[in-house]
Amino acid sequence: MTYRCLLQMVLLLCFSTRALSMNYSLLRFQQRRSDTVCQKLLRQLPSTPQHCLEVRMDFQVPEEMRQAQQFRKEDAVLVIYEMLQQIFGILTRDFSSTGWSETIVEDLLVELQGQMDHLEPIQKEIMQKKNFTMGDMTVPHLKKYYINLGQYLKSKDYNSCAWAVVRAEMLRNFSFLKSLTEYLRD
Amino acid sequence: MVGTLIPQEVSSIGENHFSLIYIFPPMRFRNLQSILSWELKNHSVVPTHYTLWYTIMSKPEDMKVVKDCINITRSFCDLTHVWVNTTDMYVSRVVGFREKAELVSCMGSFFLESDRPLDPPEFEIVSFTNHISVNVKFQSVDPRILNEEELQFYLAFIEEHEGNSVKRHQPQITGNITENFNYVIDKLIPNTNYCVSVYFEPKDPRKINRSPLKCTLFQPRRESESSESATIGGIITLFLITAVFISTVMILKRIGYICLRNDFPKVLNFRKLSVWVFPELPPLEKVATVEVIHINRKKKVWNYNYDDESDVENEAAPCVNSGGYTKHGLMGRLCPASTTSASLEDCSDHSAEEPYLPEPKGDAETPMAPGPGPWQSEGTSGGYQTRGTLQQDPTSEEDSDSTERSEGRIVFNVNLNSVCVRALEDDKDSEVTLMSPSRPEETVVLEDLNETESSLLVASEERTQLPFTDPSMECLRPQDAPSDQSDTSESDVDMGDGYIVRQVNLKKFN
Repeated sequence: MTYRCLLQMVLLLCFSTRALSMNYSLLRFQQRRSDTVCQKLLRQLPSTPQHCLEVRMDFQVPEEMRQAQQFRKEDAVLVIYEMLQQIFGILTRDFSSTGWSETIVEDLLVELQGQMDHLEPIQKEIMQKKNFTMGDMTVPHLKKYYINLGQYLKSKDYNSCAWAVVRAEMLRNFSFLKSLTEYLRD
Repeated sequence: MVGTLIPQEVSSIGENHFSLIYIFPPMRFRNLQSILSWELKNHSVVPTHYTLWYTIMSKPEDMKVVKDCINITRSFCDLTHVWVNTTDMYVSRVVGFREKAELVSCMGSFFLESDRPLDPPEFEIVSFTNHISVNVKFQSVDPRILNEEELQFYLAFIEEHEGNSVKRHQPQITGNITENFNYVIDKLIPNTNYCVSVYFEPKDPRKINRSPLKCTLFQPRRESESSESATIGGIITLFLITAVFISTVMILKRIGYICLRNDFPKVLNFRKLSVWVFPELPPLEKVATVEVIHINRKKKVWNYNYDDESDVENEAAPCVNSGGYTKHGLMGRLCPASTTSASLEDCSDHSAEEPYLPEPKGDAETPMAPGPGPWQSEGTSGGYQTRGTLQQDPTSEEDSDSTERSEGRIVFNVNLNSVCVRALEDDKDSEVTLMSPSRPEETVVLEDLNETESSLLVASEERTQLPFTDPSMECLRPQDAPSDQSDTSESDVDMGDGYIVRQVNLKKFN
């Protein structure tokens, strides 16, 4: 009887471990796919950044994003979720002066929301367990970065050049997300 | 074949228009090279030299000139070591000069990570009976350019060329792709030449980088359908056979025909080598010799007590009827064989205590006085002498003797057929009274011991040899001997083992 229970426990442990590993692997696959789709949709939005060189601005991307340092998978989940959330917020602002297709923007927002839904359970679990070693300034730096973007758009009255500059930053953001997605491994 | 990238917007100075083209060298060299090239659409005025500048969108920096592309006469510039950050958006500007006058200017923005055109992957086609298989090799694609997940979005329109018609296939890629991807093109027309081309979906739909066509003649075989049906039938048959076999095994096991469990008790477990090498000896058992004595018990009890106060102690042990003979035990003390006359007297003295040894009376002279001689001889015969009452084995069946009691004497009947008396060999004086088993029953009456010496009549077993003497008879015989003796006739028959059967015709005493 004891040996039967032991065998079942071992099998359950193996399968649970396998299930957990498959969660991150599946998440990584989904995230990479989402990043590519979003970049493709952004590229479909017309823009002439070479005519907006005078209104360029340094929004101070966090150094952790630019330096491509090593991330634990739990930290990567938190950063990715924060970035998706902020990009979603930026793209919900007034873009009427740009002449962009609302369908493309809506598809972009749907893709972002879907990816956040995939990340939310794991993100909440990590926050509850406080199982992350990331420095306390990474997320605040990210928040500050996206606040700068929002304030920039607002200061430029959401004109096309401002949106061209912000669109260029969005393309960079998805490149950062692709790099962070690589850390979702077991 | 080289890949090209057309900037999103080109601005020019003057009537002449430039077409700025960003060229990527073939990926077969596995080198991430970035070469920007340009060409004039209007060749009316041709610049003599060109200069290239660039900047990025993430920072408000001034345009930078590319040192290797200052006043160049070629129409391209290698930016591999200049545009190194693939996550940034670059803005380039090309100015054409004729002598020192600026004739044309062209600007463009490039986001290298997503704008880089992809070379078509390598692939192979194989023609089967009813379809064509296209095997795309993704390992030829640099993962830095296109990863696994991006393949499903940018791969791969497979064009099927049949004559002049072109049919496009967009394969659906699911899961991870590491090396190869196989796509099947079916529903083909027999005996038709088909050509296939594979390429990645370009970011810019205005330019598609197709692969060279690979062609094959589709010739289906007539027996393809039959082979398929045969294969299906074989699989079904195999499955049925397997199912039947498994069910048969399960049934046999269930009914106990096979795989019987042998739950032998532990004592039958002979696997222990120690048991074979060092067999355990059975525990020692107590062995005792048991002699079975068969005793026939009869209700009828013959009591030959001479006296009413018969001493139970003096009663002889119940006689075992062995060999068909009845043993009659006389009541009294068993005197050892080595009894001397003195002891015999003791015996006689002791026998005085025995009530059933009355003193001889009257005329009957006990032969006891001269008795020691014969007694001794009897004693030396090795047997025991008993004096006393003759007691019959109550279980004897052959004893049909009856007793008669009268005052002063005890009369008992002895079945001659059931009694044997051993004759003493060396005893001359002994007298043996024999009974013949074959003879009909005759009764022998003995005088009362009170009057005469006790007569001894013992039928013993093999060990005990009790001669029978009849002193009274002896005594009497001298008196009546002539008459008695004359009345008797004797004949001896040796029965063996010391017993003699003598046919005696005895006179009945009153």
